[in-house]
Amino acid sequence: MAMTKSQRRRITSGVRYVVLSVWGLMAFFPIYWIISTSFKLDTQWFAWPPYYFPSPPTLANYMNVWFGAEEYAQTQYAISSQKPLISLYNSTVIAVTSTFLSVLFGSMIAYGVSRYRILSEARMFQLLMLRMIPPIVIVAPLSLYYTAIGLIDTRFGLILVYFLTTLPYAVWMTKSFIDEVPLEVEQAAEILGASRWRTVFEIVLPLIRSGLVATFLFILILTWSEYLLALIITKTQVTTLPIELSKYQGSTEGRVYGRQAALAVGITVPLMIVGLIIRKHLARGFSFGMVRR
Amino acid sequence: MTVAALSAAEAPLQASPRAVSRRRAIRRFKLSLLAPLIALFAFVLMPVLLLQLYFSVHQWTVYLGSWWDADYIGLDLFKEVLTDPRFGWSVLRSLAFATGSTVGCFVFGFLLAYLMHKPFRGQAIYYIIFILPMLTVPVVVAYTAEMMLYQSGPLNDIITRLSGIEFKPSWLSDPHLALMTVSLLEIWNWTPFSFIIMLAGLTAIPKEPIEAAEILGASKWRIFWEVQVPLLRPVILLALVLRFLEAMAEFPKTWSLFQGGPGSATETLPVYIFMTTWQYFEISKGAAMSYIVMLLMIVIVLFAIRLLRREKRSLDKMYEQSDDLKVEG
Amino acid sequence: MTKFSVSRRTFVEGGLGLTVANFLPGTMPLASATTMEESTIAAAKSAGPAAVNGMIWSPYLVPMQPVIAEFSKQTNITIGAVQDISIFDAPQRAMAEALSRSPQFDFIHIDSNMIPSLVSAGYLEPLDEYMKKANFKIDAVGDYGTFMTYGGQTYGVPTDGNVHIQYTRKDIIEDADNKKRFADKFGKELKFPQTWEEEQTIQEFFMDPSKDLYGSANLRNRANGPTWWYMIYYSAGGFPFDDDMKPTLNTPPGQYAVDIYLKDKKLNHPEAANWGTPQQIPRIAQGHVVSTQYWDGTAKLNENPAKSKTTGKWLYGLVPGSDFSGKRMHRSISSPLAAILVNKYSPRKAQAAYLALWLGSGKNSIPIVTDPVNTFNDAWAKEHMTSDAVKNAYSPAGVKAIEANFQVVAPPIYLTGYLEFQDALGKNLSEAFVGQLPAKDVLKKTEDEWTAIIRRIGQSKLKKDLISYKALMPKRLKPA
Repeated sequence: MAMTKSQRRRITSGVRYVVLSVWGLMAFFPIYWIISTSFKLDTQWFAWPPYYFPSPPTLANYMNVWFGAEEYAQTQYAISSQKPLISLYNSTVIAVTSTFLSVLFGSMIAYGVSRYRILSEARMFQLLMLRMIPPIVIVAPLSLYYTAIGLIDTRFGLILVYFLTTLPYAVWMTKSFIDEVPLEVEQAAEILGASRWRTVFEIVLPLIRSGLVATFLFILILTWSEYLLALIITKTQVTTLPIELSKYQGSTEGRVYGRQAALAVGITVPLMIVGLIIRKHLARGFSFGMVRR
Repeated sequence: MTVAALSAAEAPLQASPRAVSRRRAIRRFKLSLLAPLIALFAFVLMPVLLLQLYFSVHQWTVYLGSWWDADYIGLDLFKEVLTDPRFGWSVLRSLAFATGSTVGCFVFGFLLAYLMHKPFRGQAIYYIIFILPMLTVPVVVAYTAEMMLYQSGPLNDIITRLSGIEFKPSWLSDPHLALMTVSLLEIWNWTPFSFIIMLAGLTAIPKEPIEAAEILGASKWRIFWEVQVPLLRPVILLALVLRFLEAMAEFPKTWSLFQGGPGSATETLPVYIFMTTWQYFEISKGAAMSYIVMLLMIVIVLFAIRLLRREKRSLDKMYEQSDDLKVEG
Repeated sequence: MTKFSVSRRTFVEGGLGLTVANFLPGTMPLASATTMEESTIAAAKSAGPAAVNGMIWSPYLVPMQPVIAEFSKQTNITIGAVQDISIFDAPQRAMAEALSRSPQFDFIHIDSNMIPSLVSAGYLEPLDEYMKKANFKIDAVGDYGTFMTYGGQTYGVPTDGNVHIQYTRKDIIEDADNKKRFADKFGKELKFPQTWEEEQTIQEFFMDPSKDLYGSANLRNRANGPTWWYMIYYSAGGFPFDDDMKPTLNTPPGQYAVDIYLKDKKLNHPEAANWGTPQQIPRIAQGHVVSTQYWDGTAKLNENPAKSKTTGKWLYGLVPGSDFSGKRMHRSISSPLAAILVNKYSPRKAQAAYLALWLGSGKNSIPIVTDPVNTFNDAWAKEHMTSDAVKNAYSPAGVKAIEANFQVVAPPIYLTGYLEFQDALGKNLSEAFVGQLPAKDVLKKTEDEWTAIIRRIGQSKLKKDLISYKALMPKRLKPA
């Protein structure tokens, strides 16, 4: 036997670093590619051999996409009646509001489930099932229904569906936090004469503050990147960023990759920041109480 | 440790002197907690499902009149869909896509999680890099793929340079590769999901049984298969089920990149429903299809839920026991 | 003089300035308006001010903006909210509007082949009344104006001719050395291709993948492929339906067209199966293509030195024809032919209609079709063919080619259910192109799928549509 234990450990550790680094490169390269494309001039977007670094880097894509700067539009591509800043506003309002509603009402339901069993375990799973039905199967009647009641192409309409489709996640996720709050706290509050609502809003929810923030940001990721529903039930008034991005396709001028990339970076960066803030809580969001901590 | 609130909730705050009015107040309180959910169901989900049901049994040809005038045709459309070979193929494609990408996500996710579940230098940075793909908006993934996967694009170029062999598959135009390309994108996009769950699962495994096994002289391999994997079963199942269901519904990447082509190589279930409804305007056929898909998904989900609930129960029981043990110890 | 600010470069040509002058207070009373543009303004004024909403793709809208600004200035009819959507996605979205009977858009800018479907779905307002009031005529090259009609009424105003013309590399086929090599091999002279077979021989002979030079850049993807197929099919004497609305694809001309269509696989870039205009058009202008049929706007791109490496290196002309029917016949195609259509449910349909007419006058649309940066709106009016600005943008040879092809231009399927018919054909052609379906089964399978579509929409209804479709087909074998 040639290897000592420490040698073996060193080899294991080396192998681990190699495997992890290879995957890390694979995970990061596309993200690098889109960032670097966003700084490239148009001749380098679709070149052979490919340009691995923007040379020289240019801000033209950002200026044109986000600020509609025309001097760039004239020398290169003019697809500048797009309004990403408005889409950014729409995306923010819709994602934040629907997520807020979802977390607020989701945590109330979760509280009810945790303390009063207002939904049986079977019902809780059925609620989860709601999330599992592909949105494509309801989107056609939804659009007709929305047209009939005047909610098509409104922020409220989109907020409502996002609220509905993310509620199951919100309930499940906040429930796992509420379960951890000791009952004694509430009993004490009750003895002191606090109403049930006050108990919820002034005792329980503040106790799981960090959990609520995690849930909020987790659901924000889902609502921010939603595509299909937004594609069908929005038209002129409400365009979200993922839909805005898809408009940069199919021009006879050639694919406007650099512009798309500049917009894509703008769409993705907020999400990445949010994700990194709550990275410790992500597991909880996905695991529905299947993982104990 | 967790307070097992589920069992505690059975007999919460109930023994009280003014029982009747109190019970009524609690009832009201419970109802008002549920009110928003009920309202959403009543005003959004139900009308939509009923409308869908209406369409699925009425033949509405959009060029011939309004939807409220459409002829009742019973279950004809369901028959039509079930005998439509294109529908059959799209189901198969979706199943293949979902299975392939689920397995891929799981294998890579598990491998990475296993390599990372014990602390080591640089762990935090790897973790951050690994979760980035999941935080990329799916539409962005699709367009990035288009920027990278053209035949003389960076991916093929890098592989050619590294291996020294000309590597030139056309990821986006070869019908044999197209569905695989989307699967690979799905794996890239969602491996972090499996990774995060598996990592959480692995780090949550109690140390005692592993230590005990080590003391008994078990090999790493046996510890892995006979101690860690059984303890991880619920988490593994969860990772597989959720990923599978989400993959069945994948639309943004498939659509943005291929719109069903080349040929009909990427005509998955969501794409075919989308085309039937929004390209051929066969709203009625689309509705029938949707109901069939919904039923299919419900069957899969119910099956998955049964499994998950069983695992969750045994997990709860196990942790209760281990809590008891700890208290005794 | 007038103080309107020109926000973008090449705006208003002389004609517009004159129009403005005519409307300075006191210069001329409304009643004696003489030109078409003036009477349009007068009619629009009587409809009252409004902000009209529309569905239009921004590359089309941007060059229109200065012309619209002029209209708004005179009539107080402005553009309100716009859904910015690609011309290839617009048909689906417009149908969604039609089936929900939505009044949200006052006008839509869309492939005019959608007219039968949208009229049948009850969405379109006939424009004849407005045209009469405004004393307006669609003054298109050849019989192209009929493309706006359906069931005897006019439903659209074109903004973009989008006719296919032939592009063949001058520097390649006029090179003495090449001519000799070609003659040595084939025993005939190398010249501008007249038939599909001649073109494919040239493409095959000169293509050289090692230099990234491919024979053709024709589109073979699922969405656009049928456009190319129809040209071949029509030129071989085919027509897709008999008088009884039975599909007649699976016939000798049909199979001939499929064979020519599929032979392109050897001549096109290996990734052609999933490539659309975004990938192929830059390749044409960058000099990676020998010979191809494309929309006329590409000439504008080729002749723009800021964007093209092939300026002056192209021959433009009539698309190839075929001897298959016994007579040499050429058929060009126009699809998607972008036009402005007006929503019947809109409360501002009159304002939208007059805006459309304003944009559709030959004189007003010259700056639109010559925009050097947004090359989306292509020349279509008689007036364009004599304009120096247009000749400058497309090159005189380009303009001549456009005019010639318009003489023999045909539509794709012009029936209710256009999208369904089109996608069935496109899917099967695409499957055959990538090898998923044997070439001999393409037409059989398409016919079966078409029969199902016909049954669903109704044979008698489609038989009525067929009259409008046939009215659009060109009568002459080749340009006069």
